Amino acid sequence: MATKPNFENLGVAQAAILAAMLGLLALSLVNLGTEMSDAFKTTVHNIGKLWMPGAQGIGPYSGKETISLLVWLVSWFLLHGILRTKEWNAQTVLAIFLVGIAIATTLLWPPVTHWAVHSLGG
Amino acid sequence: MRGEEEKSSQAVIVSILIMMGAIAAGILFVSTPAEKLLGESAYSVRSAFHGLFAGIFMVTVTIGLYQAFRLWTGTTFNVREMEVGSILNAAACFLTILFGNWIYIPYRSTGGPRTHFLETAPEIHKIFFEFKEFTALFTLPLAVVAAYLICRYGEKLRESERLREIVALLLVLTFFYFIVAFGLGAAITKLKSV
Repeated sequence: MATKPNFENLGVAQAAILAAMLGLLALSLVNLGTEMSDAFKTTVHNIGKLWMPGAQGIGPYSGKETISLLVWLVSWFLLHGILRTKEWNAQTVLAIFLVGIAIATTLLWPPVTHWAVHSLGG
Repeated sequence: MRGEEEKSSQAVIVSILIMMGAIAAGILFVSTPAEKLLGESAYSVRSAFHGLFAGIFMVTVTIGLYQAFRLWTGTTFNVREMEVGSILNAAACFLTILFGNWIYIPYRSTGGPRTHFLETAPEIHKIFFEFKEFTALFTLPLAVVAAYLICRYGEKLRESERLREIVALLLVLTFFYFIVAFGLGAAITKLKSV
């Protein structure tokens, strides 16, 4: 992990892509949670209702969007602060990003979601 | 002197474009049967805007795919064009999702398409629609981050092959998730619209 102060390197880009990946992973995990627990689904829906117009009609999807958005933006802010003046290994970061996106996509494919819920005893 | 001439030419071109747009909008406004165009649904306006922005997004994301190819191969590219294009791409993405959220309300309502699908062919909602509603959300962070990196690094994109690869990958992924969501959305709308 090389540190290069006062030099704009790949760190800013790495922070941005990792944060996007975290937001999408959060979306998939929250969706899995809502499929497993009605209480969690209600909580997620209530989070959406806090600010999103029409959230009552949109349903728990509003809360899933909200949590995903929050995880994305907060993690971007934090990772940007950490990586602003340095960069991590480029290939490792790219691999983590791609694997994270692939996991998020797979978990959101409904047959996999339902299988995971069944396997985890939800 | 040369700079002033260029500014003058740009102003003329922009003026002509605005005038042509105004004429086209005027002709459309006086000649189009808007009710027929939008349909008879109570939700026709919001679904029309969702479709309109999805159509614009389809254009910008396809241009993005082409730009990704140029970034990937390192051939000539215009950073200024990419900045404007990527911002438009992210804006079209955001507006498509915004109106998608709005149209989701009648989709879920009693007697709406969701009820229809659950009664007649549940897999259409339970598999295809549910996957579509999430893959559509993938496009926003990917498109926003692509635009951010293009604007943040600007000309530095030319110097870093690694950075160009990251931006190209983001643009390709945006295109992929858009195509999945758009294809499924179009198919579901053909089966039963709001």
